[in-house]
Amino acid sequence: MSTLTVEHVARIEGHGTISVEVKDGAVGEIRMDVVEPTRLFESMVVGRRFDEAPLITSRICGICSPNHAVTSLKALEAAMDIEISERTRLLRTLLVHGSFLQNHATHLYVLAAPDYVGLPNFIPLAESHPEVVARALSIKKLGNDLTTAIGGRPVHPITAVVGGFTAEPSKADVEALAKRLHAVAKDVAETVGLFSTFDVPTFDTAGEMLALKAAGEYAVYDGDVCALDAGWCRPVAEYRDFVTEHVVGHSNAKHSMIDGRTFMVGALARVNLNWDQLMPTARIVASKAGLRPVSKNTFANNLCQAIELVDAAERCAMLCEKLLEDTGTSKPVGYKIKAGTGTSATEAPRGTLYHTLAIDDDGFVTAGNVITPTAQNLANLEADMRAFAPTVVDLPEEQFVLRVEQLVRAYDPCLSCAVH
Amino acid sequence: MAAHVAVISLASDFGCQVQMTNLDDKLLAVLGQFELSYWQLASSGHLPETYDVAVIEGAVTTPEHVELLKRVRATAGTVILIGACAVTGGIPGLAADGFAERLACVYGEDGSLLECVAGISPMPVDSVIDVDYRVPGCPIQPDELVAVLQRALMGLADRPQREPMCASCKVAENQCFYEHGVVCLGMITRSGCGAKCISLGRPCTGCRGVAADANLEYARQVLVERGLDPARLVTALQLYNSLQEATR
Repeated sequence: MSTLTVEHVARIEGHGTISVEVKDGAVGEIRMDVVEPTRLFESMVVGRRFDEAPLITSRICGICSPNHAVTSLKALEAAMDIEISERTRLLRTLLVHGSFLQNHATHLYVLAAPDYVGLPNFIPLAESHPEVVARALSIKKLGNDLTTAIGGRPVHPITAVVGGFTAEPSKADVEALAKRLHAVAKDVAETVGLFSTFDVPTFDTAGEMLALKAAGEYAVYDGDVCALDAGWCRPVAEYRDFVTEHVVGHSNAKHSMIDGRTFMVGALARVNLNWDQLMPTARIVASKAGLRPVSKNTFANNLCQAIELVDAAERCAMLCEKLLEDTGTSKPVGYKIKAGTGTSATEAPRGTLYHTLAIDDDGFVTAGNVITPTAQNLANLEADMRAFAPTVVDLPEEQFVLRVEQLVRAYDPCLSCAVH
Repeated sequence: MAAHVAVISLASDFGCQVQMTNLDDKLLAVLGQFELSYWQLASSGHLPETYDVAVIEGAVTTPEHVELLKRVRATAGTVILIGACAVTGGIPGLAADGFAERLACVYGEDGSLLECVAGISPMPVDSVIDVDYRVPGCPIQPDELVAVLQRALMGLADRPQREPMCASCKVAENQCFYEHGVVCLGMITRSGCGAKCISLGRPCTGCRGVAADANLEYARQVLVERGLDPARLVTALQLYNSLQEATR
């Protein structure tokens, strides 16, 4: 019997090690060890002033920091019964979608694509496929520029505070962004085209799929949590009743279950659950690329991220135009600090992100709970690896390992988030 | 021969590495001058036996980190730290106080049974090895990293900004937060970001660490004169600097 080990799997965010036992051509034990050191964020917010909590939770992940910041702000506002303005909601929604543009472009081109063109990394692509690299960088830069315009910088937003924003982009900046978002339509559609040509295995996950759903919009800022197979929707505030977390020995990240099943969150779950709310262009591009719900092929998560790029570009252009028309203010609303517990969820690029924050009468945090998308996905990822590995075990070792790594990367795992 | 660079991450949120990728068009211009030998975030492969420059992100939180750093120092001629986690201990440093109890708090009573939770109380990198350059901030400013890489390439010594943020605020013509009774750490924080947060309407939170020329006693007096509890200065400073002398 031999154990194949891939230490510090490349091109994922954080440190993870895959080990697969192979005996007489059959797959034995298989697991994903999250060796990323534990970080204890939930304990670190305790005792800090409430307005520091979003600054701290934002540092869970430098890759999806706007999502953590926005989710904590919403939790604090829920705790203190603070109503925000429509304009603040609009700006925050742009921040979340901007993060989709940044994250999906980076994952698809820099982290995932090299697998499918037989390269160890993104850098040789600059010579072999300069137009692809230019496209990747331009989408990512647009995502960065959008989050910078709204949040003040591409990583760890500055301007988003409890009740509103401390600064807003100028009208000229928003107009310029809207133009660029329209102009990127070709690039994002070509991204879907590119990923639809990649030879991905046919493999369906056995897990449930979860995403936020809200009336009349592609839910990212709020909504109820809905399950694809089971068909139920439940309020976010009850998430700790239905998402159960448990500690597993080989991972510094906890594992999550729902209704006794493993489950998947992220682009594939969202596209399946919110197909009708995608921008029409995104639905057309998706259909042409051969993707129609319901798809349970884990590998299609990459294609769905590309489809969300199409959706985000067109949607953000529309939201920027709305921002130009809207005459309201995003100036932080006045509020009184009071004790309370608030729970919120948003859709981060990798899936539903939950934050709970409790504060006392003086505004100091007394408890915090965070469940990240990758933490939710890990149990399903391992279940998928167990089901998928035997189907490719006959391949030469190198290709076998590559296929398993591709499966892991299809989840776009963020292990620094997972061990928060 | 081009200098070989390894990018190494300890406990962090990868935000500073993301900022490295955000150099966009400058990325290739700068990294093109080096040979990139290892970057786990962006490439397959293992940390090589030899390299000239180590760029380190993150705080020290495991015994493996300590061993790794000793190996890195023995291998690399130049060690560059990027970001608050590596430079001051940053946000991870917040977990240092009562570290053992915190593990129990997050992982439950059976947390101690976990074989892989072999964490140690968080530390900045320079409490384990000597370092040559520090790019501070949470996250780093990409331009500042470029400048430090250029200095490293030319063999020039690190030249940290000595003066506090207030100097930058004057240049940016920002209104002072103390006029509104809001605690701001600009008086004592190392400048170099152009007072970014303050210019966008938020007080400085000290992510760049304490400036060499900072006068903490005077800063406390300013709070007293404004009718604010001077202890709030240290409490606020703890956010990114709980492991530094100034908050002890």
